[in-house]
Amino acid sequence: MKLCKLLTAAVLVSGAFLTNPTMAEDITLEFAVWNYSLETIQDNVKKFEAANPGIKVKVTDYTWPDYQDSLVLRFRGGTPTDVIYGGQDWLPAWAAGGFVAPLDDIAPAGAVDDLKKDIAGFALSDMTYKGKLYGLPYYADTISFIYNKKILEDKGIAVPKTWEEVTAAAEELKAGGMEHPISYEYNQELPNFFDAFVAQAYGRGAQLFDAEQKAAFDNPENGAYKQLQWLADAFSKGLVQPETHESKIILAMNTGQHAFTVVFNYVLAAMNNAADQPLAGQFALAPMPGEAHTTLGFSKFYAVTAKTAADPARAEAAWKFINFMAGKPYTVAKRWAAEKGLGFGQLPLFEDQSVIEAWGKWIDMPTLKQQVATARAGTWTEWGSQWSAYFRPLLAKAMVGEAPVEQVMKDGAERWNQMREQFASR
Amino acid sequence: MWTTQRFPAIWLLPALLPVALMTIYPIAYALWTSMHSVLLLFPDTPFTGIDNYVRVVKSGYFLDALYNSLLFTAIAAPLVVVLGTLTALFLQRRFLGSKIVRSIVLLPWVLPGAISAVLWIWVFHPSFGVLNGTLRALGAIDGSIPWLTSPKLALISVVVAHVWTQIPFAVVLIMAALSAINSETLEAAAIDCRSPARRFRHVILPEIKPMIVVLLIYNALAAFTTYDLVYAMTGGGPGTATTLLSFQIWKESFSMYDFGTGSAVAFIVVAISAVMILAITRALPSDLFEGD
Repeated sequence: MKLCKLLTAAVLVSGAFLTNPTMAEDITLEFAVWNYSLETIQDNVKKFEAANPGIKVKVTDYTWPDYQDSLVLRFRGGTPTDVIYGGQDWLPAWAAGGFVAPLDDIAPAGAVDDLKKDIAGFALSDMTYKGKLYGLPYYADTISFIYNKKILEDKGIAVPKTWEEVTAAAEELKAGGMEHPISYEYNQELPNFFDAFVAQAYGRGAQLFDAEQKAAFDNPENGAYKQLQWLADAFSKGLVQPETHESKIILAMNTGQHAFTVVFNYVLAAMNNAADQPLAGQFALAPMPGEAHTTLGFSKFYAVTAKTAADPARAEAAWKFINFMAGKPYTVAKRWAAEKGLGFGQLPLFEDQSVIEAWGKWIDMPTLKQQVATARAGTWTEWGSQWSAYFRPLLAKAMVGEAPVEQVMKDGAERWNQMREQFASR
Repeated sequence: MWTTQRFPAIWLLPALLPVALMTIYPIAYALWTSMHSVLLLFPDTPFTGIDNYVRVVKSGYFLDALYNSLLFTAIAAPLVVVLGTLTALFLQRRFLGSKIVRSIVLLPWVLPGAISAVLWIWVFHPSFGVLNGTLRALGAIDGSIPWLTSPKLALISVVVAHVWTQIPFAVVLIMAALSAINSETLEAAAIDCRSPARRFRHVILPEIKPMIVVLLIYNALAAFTTYDLVYAMTGGGPGTATTLLSFQIWKESFSMYDFGTGSAVAFIVVAISAVMILAITRALPSDLFEGD
């Protein structure tokens, strides 16, 4: 009798689930992000949920410095994770480790190829591993050479086109009483410490690695080698004011005591923000000094975990979500660009009037468009981020004269080649 | 029948088991990790014997980190004890507002390391820092001193911040030791000896010496294993100027994802700490704690 009652109850409960599609089909996606502008993320998620009944998104955020470690621990610990913010430097390792999935595995046929056509070359390269696309851009930007227009105009100094001209301009300013004409983000614990160096080397047209991904930067003729030597000279001449974080560069440049810096474009947006910066409007973007005038472009992106891709229902929901966040008509990407000054990998946004209006207040759009068109992607490998963690302190040492450039480049190249072989054999 | 005298070990088990679980297991696991190749991105963990230890000792940073750690400890530990003792002697006096001053002195104790680091970054900031600002206002300098980005100054700056965070604990312990001294002894000393320096040397110091030794050992270990201030203030840089061995444990494990090597550094730190404790305790007079 008891068994009979239990069976009846079970049938009733199952029936209730079947007749209530919301209860039966609701999927909650676990979305891991770093905590930049969390309120905007949450608001975008709300809009997605409203447009997609039956799919909920739970956001888990980490601070930027902790993000990579936390994600790897989530992957290895088996913490349920569906959609994540990815980074160009982490992708090869995460893809090789089987933690993330190519978008072709989850997207409807033709959808990925259709979106690819609109994405900037460097961003596409950053999100691709072994020929497969693993993400759609959340944020894509270039590292830029920034100068103070007013200071240069007042002193009659032309905008430098090469690094040697930057030295000459800085020396002239120093002779005129400016203690440190160059403000430089000097923090060896931040990955962008290396990225900014690569961007400068790209200005010289440097190829840091050869076609077989062996280190080439230890050759004194290589642009990266020359650039490190240039930085060491600039530090030794007292031209550089090191700052520990980009947020302090915004303040430092706004004191009028520095004329040049190398930062992400959103830092330029903050420097030129009339609401809270005294010298807003004085700062401008110039092509990266050097013979090539190219710079480093990079992309942070939405990616889907391999576990989610293996579950058809979750994979479908995850695709809907990242397509909403980064796909056509690029509403969310446009919002990030217009409201926060975040760069974008979706090229049609360069023609969007609302973006042009918002960005035109703090950056010269034609110069930026030219920079984005010629920007080069970095060389990202499975061992790249670990190697970068090893190499950054060496770079820092060379800059302040604690180690010879030759030794640093030799050590860095040896370690790179050693890791390359080590990873090839695992 | 079941008395503590007959079966002491069994009665201790409920307390010992959790302690064993919380200490022996992690240590054993760390030892196992240090002898395997545990790269976070690879699922296999092959046995490597002492390879991780050899790699650490042969690496470019090890000697720098060891030197920095020992130098940091040699400067910071005695400095905390000396300044802590002087502050405690000062605070023991009663004066107007003494209670408020005591509370303020204890303030660094309640601040988390990361917050203290942020505070000190602003003190040492080359352009906007309080220190350079004060020196400029006094006419002592014209430009700015790169406290945290100069290899020669960065370690000193971190030592200053570390000492600042550790002084309150030293003050509390020394004040406790001072308050335990018999008041009649102090009164007699005040009559017999008018010089405060001699009174301190011959009367007070012998009474608080055991506490000073305990503080010295504690601070030597705290300095040798400090991590948070270095992480937040300099990231071990510039170059390896402020890289300490304890910081390198984090760096190997969480920045390079090599938990095997990170654990090997950790065991080297443990070994050096053990030698340090042994050396300090051996150097003590054997009758130091007699009568306590």
